[in-house]
Amino acid sequence: MISMRGYWARRLGGAVCVVAIVLVANFFLFRLMPGDPVSTVLDPRFSPQAKAELEVLYGLDRPLAVQFLIYLERTATFDFGLSFATQRPVLDEILSRLPNTLALLVPAYLLSVLLGTVLGVLAARRRGRAAEKAVLSAGAISFSFPSFFVQMVLLLLFAYVYPVFPLRGSLSIPPPQGTWPLLVDRVWHLALPVGSLVLLGFGGWALTVRNLVVKVMGEDFMVLARAKGIGERRLFWGHAFRAVLPPLVTLFLLSLPGVVSGAVLTETVFSLHGVGRFLLDSVLGQDYPAAGGAFYLLTLITVASNLVADFLVQFTDPRIRTGERSSS
Amino acid sequence: MRLSGAIGLFALALSFALPTHGAEVKAETLRGPRIGELYMVVVRDPDAAVLALERGKLDVLGDVTRPSDIRRISKNPAFELSMAQGFHMAQVGFNLRKSPWNAPELRRAAAMAIPRDRLVRELFSGYSAPLTTYLPPMSPYCDKEASAPRFDPEGARALLRKAGWTWDPSGVLVPPKGKSPLPPATILSPTAGVAPTTAELADRIAGSLREIGIPVKAEPLDFAAMIQRIDEHKFDLYLMAWQLSRDPDSLYAFYHSSMDVKGGYNQTGLKDAKVDRLLEDLRYAPDEPAARVAARAAQKALSDRLPIIPVYTRFSVAAVSKGWQGTVSTKSMTADNSWSLLAMSPASGPMKPLYWALGDEPRTLNPFTASTATDWQVLGMVYDTLLTVNPNNLEDLPWLARSWKVETVKDPGGLRTRLTFVLRKDVSWQDGSPFTAKDARATLLFLQKNAIPRYFDSVRDVASVSVPDAHTLIVTMKNVSYWHLHSIGGTPIFPAALLGRVKDWRSWQPARNPVPGKAGLTELYGTGPFVFREVRPGDFVRFSRNERFWLIPR
Repeated sequence: MISMRGYWARRLGGAVCVVAIVLVANFFLFRLMPGDPVSTVLDPRFSPQAKAELEVLYGLDRPLAVQFLIYLERTATFDFGLSFATQRPVLDEILSRLPNTLALLVPAYLLSVLLGTVLGVLAARRRGRAAEKAVLSAGAISFSFPSFFVQMVLLLLFAYVYPVFPLRGSLSIPPPQGTWPLLVDRVWHLALPVGSLVLLGFGGWALTVRNLVVKVMGEDFMVLARAKGIGERRLFWGHAFRAVLPPLVTLFLLSLPGVVSGAVLTETVFSLHGVGRFLLDSVLGQDYPAAGGAFYLLTLITVASNLVADFLVQFTDPRIRTGERSSS
Repeated sequence: MRLSGAIGLFALALSFALPTHGAEVKAETLRGPRIGELYMVVVRDPDAAVLALERGKLDVLGDVTRPSDIRRISKNPAFELSMAQGFHMAQVGFNLRKSPWNAPELRRAAAMAIPRDRLVRELFSGYSAPLTTYLPPMSPYCDKEASAPRFDPEGARALLRKAGWTWDPSGVLVPPKGKSPLPPATILSPTAGVAPTTAELADRIAGSLREIGIPVKAEPLDFAAMIQRIDEHKFDLYLMAWQLSRDPDSLYAFYHSSMDVKGGYNQTGLKDAKVDRLLEDLRYAPDEPAARVAARAAQKALSDRLPIIPVYTRFSVAAVSKGWQGTVSTKSMTADNSWSLLAMSPASGPMKPLYWALGDEPRTLNPFTASTATDWQVLGMVYDTLLTVNPNNLEDLPWLARSWKVETVKDPGGLRTRLTFVLRKDVSWQDGSPFTAKDARATLLFLQKNAIPRYFDSVRDVASVSVPDAHTLIVTMKNVSYWHLHSIGGTPIFPAALLGRVKDWRSWQPARNPVPGKAGLTELYGTGPFVFREVRPGDFVRFSRNERFWLIPR
């Protein structure tokens, strides 16, 4: 029998191992990529000697083992060093972009999940009817359309043809004066990017929820519950929906890191200053400290999401009690 | 054939519809800036940038590269387009370190097999020009007579035949005295995802080379991987584009044998004693006439050896709202330049802010570590140099220095170039303190002492800097070269008072540090036409007119 304490010790140990592996991979993978931050400087006015000075500036003149030790020390203290591109601390760079990314992704993600879940439930409860067909079609379209295309079309429609929303950025130029006007201005600027992400994101959730609910509705325990005379409302919310909660919670949390990295295109199309674009620029520009720092934080988010999912699933699914399971 | 003809006619018609360049301006007489407030607006997505321009959210949009965008904007009467040839060069390089590319007749035949005119017409809709020279045609040092051979596939075959090359039954070339045909080769290029026209061009060039029996196919690669392959000499041919400058110094970097080292740009591996000597003559020319002669001789030698095939040069296109007047555009400069910013004013009505597009976010506003063109678009508003470039003829123009002298002097260490700059007396820093030769000296010594990579080549040959009076700067170099004038004259000058306070140039963030007692002024200040006010990362950089700027009429 494994105690809860033992289970969590194993889970935490596994998480630490994952972080350690990613840490090492983060260092070596970027250096194994073709080229390096200095060789891709293409300017005939930049002599080989000047490039050597650039290597010194970036700390790339030191032996790889020394670079690795410095990297480990910095990562352990959340000091990722200076970005090659900006010569500013990587953590500052990430933190300066985080509010924009959170303001974009948190409402977009929550609204996508909420809308997707509501529509998925609606489709499942109205099987074979027009509502289900509409949700399935809308979900499939939302799920399968490329985000870049959809966002450009929305931009064209609602910022150009019908200029209801701004074309770019996170605030007006010049910005309005005062806290409230500034806040309203920020919301106005985020409305289209958030709306586009909801439009693109709800479909997957709607289809998943609908499929899970439909599957659960056909399970034996549901037939039994119905035979017992339990009312439809209680049957659905008390039994069926509760049964689909664990996979939904897991999916919700495990999708978080992907949402962050998926912000790249949105931030580009709407000219937003966010973490996603920073991640892409860092990788393309072979900015080792910046890319390493950003990926390390993403790893932490992934591992933490995983642990939180494990923790929450225990509450949403009474069948998952490690001790009970192993004793049965 | 009919399709390409139609495209050609269309491109021709369009090139007539677009102004090739604006009227010549007397840069020396420009006064300004007139604009009170300047916003540099970050719009990274090119589609969004065009939409923003059309919605009136931008007044100036530079570097419009996609033919579809150019066509769209050219049809809109609210905008004026300017087109200039600039200093772009796309070229095919050979790996001269290995056979068969070390055979000069094969390289010449390859150059004759590429139909530059047709490729440019079909792929670039008229917004590029075929190129046969070794320097951008706009460069004052470009020798148009020293050019690569023109398209002549029959001539290419005849040339190879005469040199003893034959063809096997499948049409592949067989080297003289060789028994087996040439092995398959590749031409490296960026991927279609990154550079669609370049990838297509590589494919078509490979097809043209196959026509005369050179078995080449295109090999698109991630750009970093492509550079690595070239650096490691693991390639046959490559297609690459460069953005060069008016000076011919790129010739030394590209073709001198000493540059065939790690970090060097002699990618083809040309090692030729005569070319080396001519390039040394060019690099260490004591004066402008000698530099011109050496540049011409070097280009002639290169056109004989053909280490690369010049293919095309891309035009720059910029759009400006007709709500503004006074833009400056020339045959080598589109309207999105610093001269326009001096002269522009609203076409009608009162003064208003100008919205200028930035195609990328400035990565840093530290002038010591700033490296991207976008960074310097911003910093160029604040900092000035001793000399500038005349937009009409690309010759040197007085700027912070009102006159200068280049001499070769002899001292116990040998011959040296001595530069004497006489500085303007009516220039002051944006904090109100006067600009003097001490600032220029402090800048040069600071940059040299710290071996700052961006300025390393500009100041490494400085032997001494003296300031005989407040407005005279004498810079003695360690060797003789006319180009020292452009290196020193083109270096941005920083306030000496500020340099003394910079503890770590790497992490210095001048835009974040306010200057005590000067409301709204940060340490990001210079002598330039605009004062930096604020940056909103990802959104904009705001400037106001420098009321102390020496070109504002008083």
